[in-house]
Amino acid sequence: MMDASQVAQVTEMMYALRNPAGVPTFPIIFMGLGVLTFALHILFVQIMLGTSAITIFGSFSQSPYWRRLAAAMLEIAKVSVSVAIVVGVAPLLFVQVVYDPHWYTSNVLSADWVIGFIIILIFAYWAMYFYYFTNGKNKDKTAQPKARWSMMLSLALMLVVGFIMHSLTSQMLHPELWKEWYLQNGVLDYSGSQLHAYNPWRFAFFISMAIPVTGAMLVTYRRFKMVREDADMGYLNWAADLGKTWIKVGSVIATVLYLAWMMTLPETAGSFATSFWGIIGGVMVLFFAIWAQVRLQGEAKFCSYMALPVALVIGLIVATSREMLRYSILNDFFHYDFMDYKIVMDWYSTGLFFLTFAIVGGSTLAYYLTIAWKAGQTVGVYTPSPAVNRMGTIALWIMILWVIQFFVAGIWTWVQ
Amino acid sequence: MDLISLYPTWYEPTVGSGWVVALIATFHVLASHTSVGAALLFAYLSHKAYREDRDDLLDFVKKYGLFLMVFTYVAGSITGPGIWYSTTVASPNGIGALIHSFVWKWATEWVFFVIEVVGVYMIVYLVGKVDKRTHMKISVLFGIASFATMIIIIGILSFMMVPGKEQWFQEGGYLNGFYGTNTFIQMGMRVAFMFTMTAVVGGIVVASIKDAAFKKEMARKLGWLGIIATLVGAGLFQLYLTSVPSQALLVMENRLPDYFGPSIIAVLAGTLAYFIITMLRPQTLVQGFAGGMAVVILVAGLWPEETARESMRKPWVAGQYVYSNQVIGRDVPGMDVKSQLPIIEKVGILQAHPFTPEHLKTVTDNNKIQAGEFIAMTYCSNCHSPSQTGIRPLHRYFPEGITQARMESYVRGVLTTGNIAYMPKMPMIESEVKALSAYLMLNNSGGDAAVQVAIKEELKAADHALAMQKAQDKVALTQEAQ
Repeated sequence: MMDASQVAQVTEMMYALRNPAGVPTFPIIFMGLGVLTFALHILFVQIMLGTSAITIFGSFSQSPYWRRLAAAMLEIAKVSVSVAIVVGVAPLLFVQVVYDPHWYTSNVLSADWVIGFIIILIFAYWAMYFYYFTNGKNKDKTAQPKARWSMMLSLALMLVVGFIMHSLTSQMLHPELWKEWYLQNGVLDYSGSQLHAYNPWRFAFFISMAIPVTGAMLVTYRRFKMVREDADMGYLNWAADLGKTWIKVGSVIATVLYLAWMMTLPETAGSFATSFWGIIGGVMVLFFAIWAQVRLQGEAKFCSYMALPVALVIGLIVATSREMLRYSILNDFFHYDFMDYKIVMDWYSTGLFFLTFAIVGGSTLAYYLTIAWKAGQTVGVYTPSPAVNRMGTIALWIMILWVIQFFVAGIWTWVQ
Repeated sequence: MDLISLYPTWYEPTVGSGWVVALIATFHVLASHTSVGAALLFAYLSHKAYREDRDDLLDFVKKYGLFLMVFTYVAGSITGPGIWYSTTVASPNGIGALIHSFVWKWATEWVFFVIEVVGVYMIVYLVGKVDKRTHMKISVLFGIASFATMIIIIGILSFMMVPGKEQWFQEGGYLNGFYGTNTFIQMGMRVAFMFTMTAVVGGIVVASIKDAAFKKEMARKLGWLGIIATLVGAGLFQLYLTSVPSQALLVMENRLPDYFGPSIIAVLAGTLAYFIITMLRPQTLVQGFAGGMAVVILVAGLWPEETARESMRKPWVAGQYVYSNQVIGRDVPGMDVKSQLPIIEKVGILQAHPFTPEHLKTVTDNNKIQAGEFIAMTYCSNCHSPSQTGIRPLHRYFPEGITQARMESYVRGVLTTGNIAYMPKMPMIESEVKALSAYLMLNNSGGDAAVQVAIKEELKAADHALAMQKAQDKVALTQEAQ
């Protein structure tokens, strides 16, 4: 264990690495948004992993139900990758605002992997599309798919990029080892060719959450499709039953892995595992199984739709625990407090973001998702009601006004 | 204490970290510009499809959209954060300066980015599943959102070259940093070139159209779009050059490779010729031709343009206050930022760098080459590879057989004083001047292999000295005890 002066040196280094430009509003806001967007990101990552796994399993199964489910889940996997990437940009942004010393150091020390991440992810995604284009035109969804290797390759590569990200996040939590990692056998290592830290239990926990989350997806899938005139209830009920099992079994597996993660925390985490946030994460994961057992009985129409929001809330609590672990190591042990970051307040850009997020994002996505939702439930061409049309017109005007304000503010500043 | 905000250095020996960033950025520009241009084209075509009740136009939108989804959205949406990744590892303080000033702008762009990604799926998958009017609305919203992502990011790109307003240095503030003459001209220029790229990449989709009349119509539409956009873009590029700092023009005149000018003119002429040929004879428009043209634009057009923008900023990497080697080289009172040069001048770069290993904090005979290498990696490697290949290799700058004394006088007289306009001022204390010079000499004569051998020797010598010291201490202690 380190003595006080070694800890002080590490703390001093972290403070020195802070960006002198400071942050444009209270750091806690970035932290809050970071947790929220991470929870959304990891939810889509888990859906993507789970639906990919179903696609692969279904492609090897002889059962027509599995084959159909595999084809349907491939569509969800494809969209989930996109959403996971786009939503993942936000936590990536916020973490480097308040934890820049940690994120940047961790990245530079494993730079080859950071660059590899981009290339591997592109190929993982293209491999999924290759599988899709090879089989997407099959009218018969129960036929045996071709090029199954590409879907397996896609999932394997996705797990590799997940592991890289896991490792970079783990390295952030070990500022006491950064200088050691930089100096390998007495010689400075500028290559960035190694991943230096990981915790297999932590990685396995986040991956295993794909099981209950995808279970929730399957339950929702049945609920969404059952209102269509051409719904095959035998198939949909089978998929939902599978989903319920996955929620229950998956949550138990994830809870065990969570416990293993908590038991293997570094010494610098102190007694985090037995603290409120350490315990509540695991309890909430297990709670998902209990919730499914109690609330997803029989038809359970409303609760079918609740399965994914419940998964998101659980994900949010786990994301908060994860953040509290980071805070606990860096603040409690190393006395590095992200809250005392220098603030150079900028009300305009802070306000503009929140207004854009709530009003532009809210109105447009509400319109988009309403259309997507209704079109998915309609056989043939969907023609929206006047109320839905009005939603679109309002969203359009809001967006036009946004662009106008962008130029008005800009030209006003320019001519000053 | 006297530590400054410097991170470890990542050194990529084959192409150099700077080019890794440039490769990813260039690819991203092709993907993202095409996406934004296509989004606006889709809005127009969907509107036309609605007004004229045409299914073929929507079918074209679907085909082009699917093509974009697989190639530019996948690659574009990944290489976008990919630029963060690459700049994070190649230039952490450069990207940090941008992030810390413009985090909310990026977050705002992200809102539009989410709309864009959801939108492209809807545009492709809802053709024939929703009525044309709804498809038009989805497309127009998508087009504006896509356009918004571009105009937001341009303010940040402009800031990399120069803050929007000079007042930013004194007063700070996001608006002063974001908006300026450079911002608006660059915006116009990029909008024009993004339509050029949309027209070229769209050719790949037009090539697959079977109906000759429709193919001719689309080839003409894209051809006109391409011709007008290319001419406007070329004109705005000239105007853009009037909006950059005079220092940047000086660098451009002196430092850009000879192929830059001719290659830009050749690409412009070739692009115009391509559009004219495909308009006059649409049957020549086959996928290989259009695909080849997209590659030509990427390699011969975008690459030199992105390299030029990166070179012209020198010695700065962001906001004319963060040097390309990550040191903050001037005061910015508006952001309460202080130049780090006085600290380095006082204690030396080895003491000021938080990641200097303990055994290199002070230069001795047993660590001179290691210390010199550390200084070179910190101060030079962002722009000059210490290897044989890569970005502007160091060995090309010194004559063979240069003496230690001459090398020292170059380092002392030119580097530590900042006497070369496009190079940062690199303060060093005297022992560091000697260490860097010794390293540069060795790198010049024997390359990296000789440097590594010398470092091993130094480590051995240091170990030996330590063992000797311990033995002596032991003898002294024994004698004392006796």
